[in-house]
Amino acid sequence: MFHWLERNPFFFAVGVFLVIAYAGIVTILPNFMESARPVVGTKPYTVLELAGRQTYIKDSCNACHSQLIRPFKSETDRYGMYSLSGEYAYDRPFLWGSKRTGPDLMRVGNYRTSDWHEYHMLNPKSVVPGSIMPAYKHMFSNNADIETAYAEAYTVKTVFNVPYDKPDMPTLGTYDESKKVVFAEAAAIVADMKSQEVKDAFKRGEIKEIVAIIAYLNSLK
Amino acid sequence: MNMETIRELQAYGYIFFTIFLAVILYSYIYHLYRDEKTGTRNYEKYSNMALNDNINDLPVEEISPLNKEKE
Amino acid sequence: MQARDALNYDYSVAKCFTYSTILFGIIGMLIGVVIAYQMAFPELNYLAGEYGTYSRLRPLHTSGVIFGFLLSGVFATWYYIGQRVLKVSMAESKFLMIIGKLHFWIYMIVILTAVVTLFLGISTSKEYAELEWPLDIGVVVLWVLWGVSIFGLIGIRREKTLYISMWYFIATFLGVAMLYLFNNMEVPTYFVSGMGKWYHSVSMYAGTNDAMVQWWYGHNAVAFVFTVPIIAMSYYFLPKESGQPIYSYKLSLLSFWGLMFVYLWAGGHHLLYSTVPDWVQTMGSIFSIILILPSWGSAINMLLTMKGEWGQLKSNPLIKFMILASTFYMFSTLEGPIQAIKSVNALAHFTDWIPGHVHDGTLGWVGFMLMAALFHMAPRMYKKELFSKKLMEAQFWLQTTGIVLYFSSMWIAGITQGMMWRATDQFGNLAYSFIDTVTVLIPYYAIRATGGLMYLVGFLMFTYNMYKTITAGKDISSEPQNASPMSA
Repeated sequence: MFHWLERNPFFFAVGVFLVIAYAGIVTILPNFMESARPVVGTKPYTVLELAGRQTYIKDSCNACHSQLIRPFKSETDRYGMYSLSGEYAYDRPFLWGSKRTGPDLMRVGNYRTSDWHEYHMLNPKSVVPGSIMPAYKHMFSNNADIETAYAEAYTVKTVFNVPYDKPDMPTLGTYDESKKVVFAEAAAIVADMKSQEVKDAFKRGEIKEIVAIIAYLNSLK
Repeated sequence: MNMETIRELQAYGYIFFTIFLAVILYSYIYHLYRDEKTGTRNYEKYSNMALNDNINDLPVEEISPLNKEKE
Repeated sequence: MQARDALNYDYSVAKCFTYSTILFGIIGMLIGVVIAYQMAFPELNYLAGEYGTYSRLRPLHTSGVIFGFLLSGVFATWYYIGQRVLKVSMAESKFLMIIGKLHFWIYMIVILTAVVTLFLGISTSKEYAELEWPLDIGVVVLWVLWGVSIFGLIGIRREKTLYISMWYFIATFLGVAMLYLFNNMEVPTYFVSGMGKWYHSVSMYAGTNDAMVQWWYGHNAVAFVFTVPIIAMSYYFLPKESGQPIYSYKLSLLSFWGLMFVYLWAGGHHLLYSTVPDWVQTMGSIFSIILILPSWGSAINMLLTMKGEWGQLKSNPLIKFMILASTFYMFSTLEGPIQAIKSVNALAHFTDWIPGHVHDGTLGWVGFMLMAALFHMAPRMYKKELFSKKLMEAQFWLQTTGIVLYFSSMWIAGITQGMMWRATDQFGNLAYSFIDTVTVLIPYYAIRATGGLMYLVGFLMFTYNMYKTITAGKDISSEPQNASPMSA
């Protein structure tokens, strides 16, 4: 039987495939049902937060910052309560990261403020002396893509039944309705900020990337 | 199906497959050495496929045009 | 079929992929050196505005070296080895020639587009799978073309039994196909909502599930791109270059199945102490340790192939490259399982020890084996002597020193940082703020970047040597049986 396999490339390939596929089937598939259940109190991201999340991904913040607090005292002392599976139920994709060149951000919303983030993104060394993080000045001039963020929220609502528009959950509605909510949310953040450029742009009806990413970072709790 | 049943199936699937693979692997070792001992086939000669690989070298085991595989 | 006397192996596709290996090698490694220096000297982040920050460049470095440099190398060696161990020429089938050429050009288009989109920040954020869905489709197309080329060539082979390298190539093809497809399942948002960017998509999996699929992919992408095809190369090039048959062909077959059985179960070690189920973590840990066996099976097999012929190590720099590669393979397949032990992982995870480990494997094992392979192929593809043996020797020592600097600095950096994160004072409070644990690493980052720079310079020497071989090498009349001819 073995020798036959060695000279029949087709069945050989099938054999290899079965062997390598089996591990995935057993380890991955069955857990899908369980870990997909959200923890009570976990809410999907608002559209503005999603736009911020997309900015986070666009600039690969996850290359240096993790979002996963491991159950050690040294980590819970530093970053807060350790992570639970259900807290990530609405994270598509997950953003755990694999390297902590900078600190974990899982609960950064608990101990940083909008204006701190603003200073930090403009010049990291101004709030963290010795920081090696680059400044992200372009977030103050690029507009956040609210339309794509809405498209994403709408998609996960339709395809994956993410509970937008349910009681106690963020409202989505139509694009125009959603835009009003986004602007109300953004207004609160812009009010906390110092940058005249961002404030002027907001008056013109533009939301800069920095506003969205601050909304996202503040939502991480 | 509730989660417990799935967990149990998972554990069984895992253990049986591991045993199955271990058996296959050991019988494969047995097969390799038995073939060599009985003179059915010498696996070591396949190394020559890399050493004598000019297009004009004779194949270690020629494929006869009549019983060519489809794949 | 033509008469066999008039027939020659056709290396035109292998040559194309050789050029792209060198091109993407330079791009990928250059970006790697830049981002390594950025960690030591953050001012370097502002060389190209929005497009030059560390975070934009990091996916470019990883994707560039994995899918540009390495994958090109895999294809180049496949189009070379495949014909030879099957004893059939690509020239015998017009169809396969067309597929091969198409494969190359679609590959180039996909990878070059990927470079541009990653600069623009178009990314799904999943490591080594950052490409958005339109490019994913391109990847699938080029992969299918490669499959057609593999099985097509096998279909017209003269050698009945498949050589061990072929096994590994087939496994690469199947493994990556499965992993890539499942990890990149995503829903394009434009087609559901009718608005927003058309190329944007959202992952099919959420949170912990997404992480499990991603690291099942991430871990095994390393298996099937960094390990399996490189073993395929070493099982061909080392025996061929040294003229020694594989020490034990049977052991090579066993190690193959061992690797296939075990590797896929070990992915859980990327998620230790995370929110994935405990038993997945423990199993990942255990299987990572078992994984030492098949890995060392292959590595020892390669070293023993040189039994009684160690003199070649002195006389032939290519053997030197390949033996060092096998040694680094043993080294990193020991280091990996150690890091997968839960208590070690608690310290090492999220620190610089991890990139240090990856680079042991990629610079030492993958890079060295690939460069030796191309050096071996050049005289046979171009019918020229290799240009300079001296340059090769210099390159070898420069790059080896670079690797040693790289991994030693990253060991120290990783363990230092891991210890500082958990250090407490006498009252049980954390002893260091986070930034303390960053500033202390800066000297090590500088050393690491310099090690990387040395490796890059070595790669440029390799490029120059190859270029001179092709353009100005001495002609050779007949193909060398074993040791590659080289001018002093």
